[in-house]
Amino acid sequence: QERIPIRKQLKQEAKAIKSRKRERREQEEASRHKWELTVGVEIHAQLNTETKLFSRAPTSPSELPNTNVALFDLAFPGSQPEFQVATLLPALRAAIALNCDIQPVSRFDRKHYFYQDQPSGYQITQYYEPFARNGYLDLFRHDGIAPEDGDRVRIGIKQIQLEQDTAKSQEYPPSMQLLDFNRVSHPLIEIITMPEIHTPATAAAFVRKVQAILQSCSAVTTGMEAGGLRADINVSVRLRGDGSGTHQYSGIGGLGQRTEIKNLSSFKAVEDAIIAEKNRQIAVLESGGVVEGETRGWTIGSTETRKLRGKEGEVDYRYMPDPDIPPLLIGKDIISALSNTLPAGPDALIDMLVGQYGLAIEDAKPLVELEDGARLEYYQDVVDILRNLQQDLDSKTQAGLGRVAGNWVLHELGGLLSKAGLAWDAERVTAESLAALIDQLQRKRITGATAKKVLAMLFDGDRRPVAQLLEEENLILRPLSREEYIALASAAIELNPQMVEQIRSKNQLGKLGWFVGQMMRMGEKGRVEAQKADAILRELILGLSQ
Amino acid sequence: MSLLLEAERYVANQSSNRMLNAFITPLCRHSGRWHDQAKDADIRGKQGKLRSRLDGRFIAFKDNICTRDFPTTCASKSLDTFTSPFNATVVQQLEDAGAIVAGKTNLDEFGMGSHSIYSSFGHVMNTRRGDDSKFLSAGGSSGGNAVAVATDQCYAALGTDTGGSIRLPAAYTGTVGFKPSYGLLSRWGVIAYANSLDTVGILAKRVSVARDVFDVLNKHDPRDPTSISPSSRSRISSKLNLPQLTSRLTSRPLRIGIPLEYNISELAPSVRQAWCHSLEYLRQQGHTIQPVSLPMTKLALSAYYVLAPAEASSNLAKYDGVRYGTRSDDSTENQSETYLYAKTRGAGFGPEVKRRIMLGAFSLSAQAIDNYFIQAQRIRRLVRHDFDAAFQAEHPLAAEIRNVELRQQAKQTGIDVLISPTAPTPPPTISDITDTSTKRSNLDAYINDVFTVPASLAGLPAISVPVSGKDNAGNQEGDILAGIQVIGQYGDDELVLKVGELLERR
Repeated sequence: QERIPIRKQLKQEAKAIKSRKRERREQEEASRHKWELTVGVEIHAQLNTETKLFSRAPTSPSELPNTNVALFDLAFPGSQPEFQVATLLPALRAAIALNCDIQPVSRFDRKHYFYQDQPSGYQITQYYEPFARNGYLDLFRHDGIAPEDGDRVRIGIKQIQLEQDTAKSQEYPPSMQLLDFNRVSHPLIEIITMPEIHTPATAAAFVRKVQAILQSCSAVTTGMEAGGLRADINVSVRLRGDGSGTHQYSGIGGLGQRTEIKNLSSFKAVEDAIIAEKNRQIAVLESGGVVEGETRGWTIGSTETRKLRGKEGEVDYRYMPDPDIPPLLIGKDIISALSNTLPAGPDALIDMLVGQYGLAIEDAKPLVELEDGARLEYYQDVVDILRNLQQDLDSKTQAGLGRVAGNWVLHELGGLLSKAGLAWDAERVTAESLAALIDQLQRKRITGATAKKVLAMLFDGDRRPVAQLLEEENLILRPLSREEYIALASAAIELNPQMVEQIRSKNQLGKLGWFVGQMMRMGEKGRVEAQKADAILRELILGLSQ
Repeated sequence: MSLLLEAERYVANQSSNRMLNAFITPLCRHSGRWHDQAKDADIRGKQGKLRSRLDGRFIAFKDNICTRDFPTTCASKSLDTFTSPFNATVVQQLEDAGAIVAGKTNLDEFGMGSHSIYSSFGHVMNTRRGDDSKFLSAGGSSGGNAVAVATDQCYAALGTDTGGSIRLPAAYTGTVGFKPSYGLLSRWGVIAYANSLDTVGILAKRVSVARDVFDVLNKHDPRDPTSISPSSRSRISSKLNLPQLTSRLTSRPLRIGIPLEYNISELAPSVRQAWCHSLEYLRQQGHTIQPVSLPMTKLALSAYYVLAPAEASSNLAKYDGVRYGTRSDDSTENQSETYLYAKTRGAGFGPEVKRRIMLGAFSLSAQAIDNYFIQAQRIRRLVRHDFDAAFQAEHPLAAEIRNVELRQQAKQTGIDVLISPTAPTPPPTISDITDTSTKRSNLDAYINDVFTVPASLAGLPAISVPVSGKDNAGNQEGDILAGIQVIGQYGDDELVLKVGELLERR
């Protein structure tokens, strides 16, 4: 048997992977031209409220099981719902931020099904008359929409309804189930889009942006990663340009048979599950089959959706108006008061950061999204302090201030955080300290290397004021004289004659950097400035003068 | 008689009448708080410091009203060992007024039935006997309440009336049964059968006692979302001129309506006699009698038997044995959750409850809801319009007046109260009801509610009072007493009580 050298084998494998990928891309491209995908999204979001929807029990995602449970939460005989008006506020903020028409009258209905996580045998929701309708959300290129959607795409929101969450149930096979009723009746909103999304990437971008908006208006506090948001996705395909499909969803007709994928818990899962389900439906149709209306599931890391239950297993929820709960009447005054006090949404914030702070959109976006806006707040503090410190500096430096601060807040400080594996904490390096440090750097009183080193010290808990720290650690740049630079450079040259020869004869200028490093090491720490050292070296080795 | 003596007499009657099965949980002769409570009330009485007219009085509670100190079973196997962790508001209100809980009375399971025979604790027996001394139906579902009152096992009793569950037993046992306007008495702690119809009501021997109980309970309760708010209450009393009730009664004769649609061929002669007798008496008192048409009456019963089971199917979904209640024994063994639910619910509910859950689940199903539930809701609104068109007083909480012309007409010629029989016939024998050979359909029992259901659908106050079935008044008490029903406009409870008082035992 012929032995293939390992290196060759690896190369071949890499090549094969590449060509498979290309093939798949081409297939995707071809099927995209032939088939049109249609997606509708339903997002369930846990509202940021003090109490449950129909009892005074506090909401408590993280407390001991079964500690915050009222009689009604357990469906005790004779107990009745007590609608908590305050839970409406985050729901209204969300609906306003998603451009919905708030309904003056809405009602609660019961959705029936038997499951141990549903104590009363029904969920209270708003089926017939939801509190918000006809909203929309604009998605831009920087939101990560698919290229074929162009610069901007608008997704219609059919309705938003208020409803109860279920209990948490934990299985201990073969026969034990533990139930935690703390989550029962935690207020949720369900956001239902029109079936107007046509690419997996845009669907994921929609969910991501809804999360950002809900967080920016404090409607929710926990995102998808912590289970605060869950998505169900409706998927159908039809031949492009063929409006002859017999199915109609939310008033949009001519569509193919849809399936529903339940309970997706990450943005990636949304995108991957849609791709997988789209491909499955296309494969079924291309082989002459029929797509069945059914409910499907998705496991993270999987490549296929799996059937959960078919039409025959569909539950008839027997929706019935709840006879105990009076209609919800929402006045115009509360809507306008909330609209006027709503914080700026992600789109407005990004516009502001790009326009007024001079940030690149790639930096503006994470700043808005990170830590529910806590990083943005920190960044704005740093810039404010810096502006104050640098009133005496030239206008060019002042204009670049936002960009420089952005770099330090996002990349330098962010790098330290991720290296240490720590969560964001605005007090770890205070905005004052970081601003002072950047100021010193801008004034060229310390080198870039020193600034990074000092940031690491502050990050690790050094509480000294920046000025004192620089003083005591002797880090302030005291410029070397020309003679001192020449002495350092000469010493370095003398120790490495061969290198000097290579630079001179082969013009390997890259090696100059190595000499700069030598000079820094030999010189007093923090005092050798790279630019100046380089100039002297060129002068001595190449005989060039500035 | 001292309150303690009276209490001892009630408790003695409870044990001597055990075979009537009025109580699921009676009081114990030799122990319990009742003895001390009655003694304390006597002391307060001597000091002239009685807490209310009910201080020290024995009030029995239907066993679907939650009590902390007694089990609350709803006469169902699914709750046969259940004790509620809290008192219903109405229990608390009466205890605060000094009243003593006189035990928990038998009923049709969860309030579903018209004869108090669908109880997992056995049939309730009427103290009145039919031909050949056969046991008569006590009516339902508050049959235990009614028998307890009729046989002096308590001073008064609190029950629930969803489609006639207080008025029918009152009519069958010769007692007074009062169903107030929907929303006046708190339902917190009252176990729901059909929330939009369920009304706490009172059984007593005399209207005056029912009024005393009503006065203690007629208050807003923030824990019941359907309890009428204080602002609506003042709207009711100002619109109905309630403070001037007496002048309303004396300033001009009352206009008494006879609903023509209630004069059905199935009406028993003795019942028709009692009805005529009542009307004749009121006419002699100078009041005006006038016929009224309530055309929706015929559809009301069907609408009721769609709506009530629909709500029941939803309300009873919670009895799964997971958090409380009785769980079927062998259901924990390694079986799917549907099996666990099916076993527990299959074993926990009796036949009538199962029948109504199935009816309700069907009428709410996607294929049937438009033809059944939605239509029934529509009929319910029309029934209310029927009443609004008949009454002189405008519905005090109606958002708008739909038909101005009709309203104007009603203002001039409208009636103050309606008078009708409570039930079409005297009580049937229990053997007739339960005899499977007579081919009675289960639906036959539903006809008993035909006169009581319309007021329930419209949420109106209604009282059933015993009236003699013979035209010469003064015959032997308890002999042939039929229940006569007085129905008033929403919120006009005082007037209904007043007219009931005029008629009782005439």
